[in-house]
Amino acid sequence: MNMIGADFSESSVEADGFRIRYREAGSGEPLVCLHGGGGLRLSGTHELLAQRHRVIAFEVPGFGRSPENDRSKTMDELARTMNAAIAALELTHYSLLGISFGGKLSLAMAMAKPEPVASIVLLGPAAIRLEGGAPPPTRVSPEEALKLLYAHPERVGPQEPMTPETAAKNRKISERLVGPPRDAPFEERMKSLQMPVLALFGTLDRVIPPEVAHLYKETLPSCHIIMVYDAAHAIDADRPEAAASVIDDFLTRGDKFLVRNTSSAIHR
Amino acid sequence: MKASLFCTTRYDGPASHTVWPAPGDTYSKEWAELAMQRTLDQFKLGDELGFDWVTVAEHHFAPFSMTPNPMVMAAALVGVVKKAKIAVLGPDIPILDPVRVAEEMAMIDALTGGRMIAGLMRGSANEYVTYNINPTESRERFDEAFQLIRMCWTETQPFGWQGRFYEYRTISIWPRPVQKPMPPIYMSTASPEAGEFAARHRLGAGFAFTTVQQAAKAAQYYRAQCSAYGWQPDPEQIIYRLAMHVAPTDEEAFEDMQAAAGGLPSIGLSFRNKAVEQAAAEGGYYGRDIEGQRARLQSRGAVIDRIEKGQILVGSPDTVLKQIKRIRDELGCGVLDLAVASQLGDKVPRAIELFGRKVLPRMHEL
Repeated sequence: MNMIGADFSESSVEADGFRIRYREAGSGEPLVCLHGGGGLRLSGTHELLAQRHRVIAFEVPGFGRSPENDRSKTMDELARTMNAAIAALELTHYSLLGISFGGKLSLAMAMAKPEPVASIVLLGPAAIRLEGGAPPPTRVSPEEALKLLYAHPERVGPQEPMTPETAAKNRKISERLVGPPRDAPFEERMKSLQMPVLALFGTLDRVIPPEVAHLYKETLPSCHIIMVYDAAHAIDADRPEAAASVIDDFLTRGDKFLVRNTSSAIHR
Repeated sequence: MKASLFCTTRYDGPASHTVWPAPGDTYSKEWAELAMQRTLDQFKLGDELGFDWVTVAEHHFAPFSMTPNPMVMAAALVGVVKKAKIAVLGPDIPILDPVRVAEEMAMIDALTGGRMIAGLMRGSANEYVTYNINPTESRERFDEAFQLIRMCWTETQPFGWQGRFYEYRTISIWPRPVQKPMPPIYMSTASPEAGEFAARHRLGAGFAFTTVQQAAKAAQYYRAQCSAYGWQPDPEQIIYRLAMHVAPTDEEAFEDMQAAAGGLPSIGLSFRNKAVEQAAAEGGYYGRDIEGQRARLQSRGAVIDRIEKGQILVGSPDTVLKQIKRIRDELGCGVLDLAVASQLGDKVPRAIELFGRKVLPRMHEL
């Protein structure tokens, strides 16, 4: 059985003094993906989206195979670095997809450089979090982390194993840069983002529970909330078809995705 | 203890009670109008006598219960039933549009100032044929529909839903339930799977079409599951449904019941269509307790046996109160859902009245 994302090529780009690794597949409008605090992990959702979009999934400096990153002092600095990486790939018009930590990062990237961003897709985003919720999966034992991430671990598929050193490195940078659960100045700046946003929440997610969803709707000027039934924090791995179909529809039709355009006829 | 009055809106004219779906060739509007009017009259009487709840249910294509949409009957009761809670027990949510269910129940709650009780049902196998839904997916559909209905009632911002069986781009219902955070929810918990589900989601338990012994066993399992999830249900969170007939003397009540017993709808609707029942059974509709679940829907016996099994209350007010105490002691239920046998005709209002005046006040003290 192939690794998830086996069809994604492996490349890297120089930006802002970092060598930044990325995986890429598909053609069409670019969709730049920012991973969660656990590092770059492709899922069935990435694979399905690559059927109709040019999917570029970065490994953020300081995560995974990249060296430790002490240089990025804030989420905004990291956002500028990632925007530089996008510029280095000569992308002029693209959408952002951010998972958890990457959700906050993608919002910060759009704040710093809104013009080329067509739309933003967030999955269990970590920009606004509830106090007293479950800890991030990076803070608990590997067994506990699996329970927080997946309602359906059997659907994850073969993944590259992660060493304890890499896990510790991922945890260090994500905890250092993610900010407090309620980051008032950041939330204030979210109000300036005019592009359409699609925010997905797993009904079984205890890290970013569905109870927080309304805060995104109330903060972002143009935000659609989608509850993904039977998904935990790793929505993209738990329900790839459900996630990819609504994301694809939103990326293709924007706000018009509210209106069903597939036939409901049973027989011709 | 509390008592709910349950009228099934039975069609008492000539009609088939042995096949499903029942053909409409003998249907007459006069009998139907009579059934509707009797239902409204009986619920009004029950409310005036102090019944705590009134119950409406959903069944399709069958003359024994002409409320295919219990929401419509519940809405008709808004000006009729002024004090009692209106227990909608309830929509078969896996065969319906869950958003519509959430909207209609919220309407009833708003129309009654928060007197709606929500019974969210899976329904029997035949109900799946009604709207052409595969009954073997009933539990999965129930789980998803339940969670979606609950979210419709509590989520304050418009949201979409990417489910397995249901998909919506944006939902924000108006009106919303009066009761906060949401109306009390019950489900039928005869099967072990349902007992686990109700315990996990802190829902009330309902037992119908069963015996008090079987219900007691299922209730024990439900309570054990509740403990495992760290809570215990109130007595009011356990409902037991059975038939009721009260007369001034035991002899009279017993004779009435004997005379009417031939027409009692004591066999589940699924069993009136062999192909439907067998296809559902083969597809795993009954879950892991298939023998027990099939048996309880087929049980039928003499009046005396049915009293013994706790399937009917029959007798004078004193006798019926004793029967109630026995059921309460065995089951620990806080609510009895009392189905009146409409085929007793003119004797039904008297039975309701006798129960209301002579049994209900003493039952409230139990």
